[in-house]
Amino acid sequence: MLETRAFEPAFLQRLDGLVLGTKRARTVRAGRRNAGRVQGAGIEPENFREYAEGDDLRFLDWNAFARLDDLTIRTFRADRQVEITVMVDASASMAIPERDDKLGLALTLGAGLAYIGMSENDPVRLAAFSGRHGAHNLETTPFHRRRESYISFRPFVTGLSCGGETRLAAAAGEILLERRHPGIIIVISDFLVSAGDYEDALAQLLAARHEVKVVHVMGDQECSGSYPPGAYRVRDCETGETREVTFGPREAEACRERVEQHAERLHGFCNRRGVTYASAFGASHLDEIMAREFPRLGVIA
Amino acid sequence: MGFLEPANLIYAASLALLVLIYLRARARPTLEVSSLILFEPVPAPVARSRILRVDLIFWLELLALCALTLAAAGLYIRRPEAAGPHRNRALVFDLGAGMGALDGRITRLEEAKRKALEIVASAPAGDEFSVIGYALDAATIRARGARREEVRTAVTGLRPLAVAARPAALRAALIDARGAAEVDLFADRMPPANVLADARPDGRVNFHLLGAPAGNLAIVALDPGVPRSSAGRCVIRNFSMRPQVCELRIDAGGKEVFHSSLIAEPRAQMIVPYGPLIGGGIVHARILTPDALAADNERYALAPSIAQAHALVMSPEAGVRDDLARIVLAINPNFIVTSADPSLFSASKIGNQRFDLAVLHDCSDDGVNAAAKLFIFPEPRLERSKRPPLLPVVGTAALAELQSREDASMLGTAVLLGPARVVELPGWMDPLARGAGVGEHNSFALAATGRNPDGEVGVISFDIRNHLLLDPDRMDALVLTIDTLRRLVAPQDLRIVSTGAFVSVPSFGRATLISPDGSRRTLIPDQWGRVRFRPLDAGRYNVIGEGGNVQVFANYYDAAESDLAAIPPPPGRPSPRLASVSVHGEFHVVPAALALAALALLFFVAESAMLTRRAARWGAGHV
Repeated sequence: MLETRAFEPAFLQRLDGLVLGTKRARTVRAGRRNAGRVQGAGIEPENFREYAEGDDLRFLDWNAFARLDDLTIRTFRADRQVEITVMVDASASMAIPERDDKLGLALTLGAGLAYIGMSENDPVRLAAFSGRHGAHNLETTPFHRRRESYISFRPFVTGLSCGGETRLAAAAGEILLERRHPGIIIVISDFLVSAGDYEDALAQLLAARHEVKVVHVMGDQECSGSYPPGAYRVRDCETGETREVTFGPREAEACRERVEQHAERLHGFCNRRGVTYASAFGASHLDEIMAREFPRLGVIA
Repeated sequence: MGFLEPANLIYAASLALLVLIYLRARARPTLEVSSLILFEPVPAPVARSRILRVDLIFWLELLALCALTLAAAGLYIRRPEAAGPHRNRALVFDLGAGMGALDGRITRLEEAKRKALEIVASAPAGDEFSVIGYALDAATIRARGARREEVRTAVTGLRPLAVAARPAALRAALIDARGAAEVDLFADRMPPANVLADARPDGRVNFHLLGAPAGNLAIVALDPGVPRSSAGRCVIRNFSMRPQVCELRIDAGGKEVFHSSLIAEPRAQMIVPYGPLIGGGIVHARILTPDALAADNERYALAPSIAQAHALVMSPEAGVRDDLARIVLAINPNFIVTSADPSLFSASKIGNQRFDLAVLHDCSDDGVNAAAKLFIFPEPRLERSKRPPLLPVVGTAALAELQSREDASMLGTAVLLGPARVVELPGWMDPLARGAGVGEHNSFALAATGRNPDGEVGVISFDIRNHLLLDPDRMDALVLTIDTLRRLVAPQDLRIVSTGAFVSVPSFGRATLISPDGSRRTLIPDQWGRVRFRPLDAGRYNVIGEGGNVQVFANYYDAAESDLAAIPPPPGRPSPRLASVSVHGEFHVVPAALALAALALLFFVAESAMLTRRAARWGAGHV
């Protein structure tokens, strides 16, 4: 239910002044043959070069031609839009433990980042991935560029349900199949899959020259291992595999250590591959997470 | 090991209940988690050990319930009897007539003796033997002892008797053999399984089945008829599966009256008529054809005398007088019967006539001079009586039942009679039949005979009014009356009895008994002046006393014992029941209920101690 906060005015008001930074230059070389569609307002001169056959004659510097009798093409530093895709994990593990509301936290953060991304009029879309009934499933919204259309994400955000396995690599493959320009891809997930799976997915996105940001979502109970003491048979909600476990103080400590190890491994991979990593542990700490982790993701005031 | 009450094993269901409770308590709730990555993987062996985790309290409860269930089911263990240095063995012999049957050249008893002597010879030194025989009764021939020569002498001296072996006697013999580690039973037929079970011998019973199927002819009955009036009949039965030639000879008064060879059909009975006899006396029938069993080849009967005799029948009712007169004439047509009403009877009218028989119904014998008197429904003592009655009446029964006869044991169904008067029998009388009032338990004599200095005296205590003796539904009452009358009118120096029956002969001094085999024995009279003996061999006995000689002819016939053609089970294969008894006898049964209950108590105490310890660990003040 946390995701409903993403459309509250107070929440959005806190995000109004924020901008999502990007490592990638927002400029392209204008005047080139394949750059026509990015021309527009905000063009500033960058350099001159000799005319080559096929160049757009609209960028021919006629004054220089009149004075020097040389065909010279002016190049400009032009603003460009960066496509932002916020991928939210909608596998079954995001709903467990139920009281942790990991999916709500992930959707709130994803919607918030989308809202911030719209501040620069960048096209932003939300995507949810999961593997249900043996087939990978990637649901996406259309790109929206203006904050006025932010409300269009509401049906997607509030109507998303969890189920199936975490098929991050398959979802990444589907994204890449769209053959879009490299943009920013924010992956919000608990990454409770094998390390090879998420490393493969992130590597694919990086290889396609996307700027990848990772938000690692975990629940309070998961992190603390605070299960009621006693003997249990735990069942993996995605694979159905079971295991006999007896919870107690020692086991809670072991659980916490395994969460830390899991996060450290993901963090280490991100560091090595230039992926921005942010942790969002505990839905109850949403405000703290936004204050602490959004700057790491490149959100600047 | 076994169970005395196997049905109580149903309590073992409580074990299943306990296991269910335990499993239910141990069932782990399933917790759904996001991923098993966050939980420590447990190695497989550890997981198995957790499934079979030893919960000591559970196992203690399980063991306690098991112990209680086994105790309720009566678990017992069979412990082999401790073998002592010297064993006690009992040699039990069937001495019934069947054991006298020839099996080849020797009798079955001889074969049994041979086997017994082999057992005695092969037994380790120090073993003790007792020798027990049974037929009508069980008798210890030789008490337990280790002297082999005495045992051999006792075994060798055994001889078959002309009586049928009774199951009760076998039971008594086995009871006498208790204490013996091993019982060797020699018999020619399989003993009833319930007899062995009832006797519960302590040791193992080794059954030695003797004899093979053989043909046999027997004289079942001999009726002398009425001399010069009706023919006699001899009934012969062939127990063989084949036709048999039967040479039959019948003598009467020392003269041959019938001699012929007959063909007897297999497993059939034939009636051979002879006579009529020309005079009374002893009739002797015998089968001359040799067969396996000789005891049933002879039979004696007494033909009534042809001399005229006088009988007096007195009764207040004319109908009773008429019935009694008919019966007296049926016994001996030579009787001249005088019937009289007691109220009209006057000794002066009849004079001082002496009767051979007086049948007195519901009246006294005042003024009656008779050699034999039969009191029927004897009159109680009246105030006007001058002398005490011969047979004092001590009570009455409104309705009496005939329950048993001395020569026929218990009747299958009690015969309902009329009212009866209970007579206190003097010691010199022998009861012939007993009965009791309807719904009462105390039995009394319904018929008896005896002899006192005045002559033969008989009594029938039930009333015979309303033609009771002619009622076809009460034929036993008629037969009893006829038998009683025959005893009274029989010659005093001749007796025809069945083997095994007690015979009493008047003798006021010592008497000598000469048995059919020629052996002599001295008999001592009792306080009533009579000597008693029990003929166990068929044939003629002679009692020589101060009062003269009395000849007693003993007849033997038993349908079961004489049937030698019955095929016994193969030797060495006792019936299952017998086998089980044998096995049972090898061990001591030791019930384990007490030990199991103690064990259960121990388990519960241990469980309580564990609970207390856990409570202390948990800080609980009480459990």
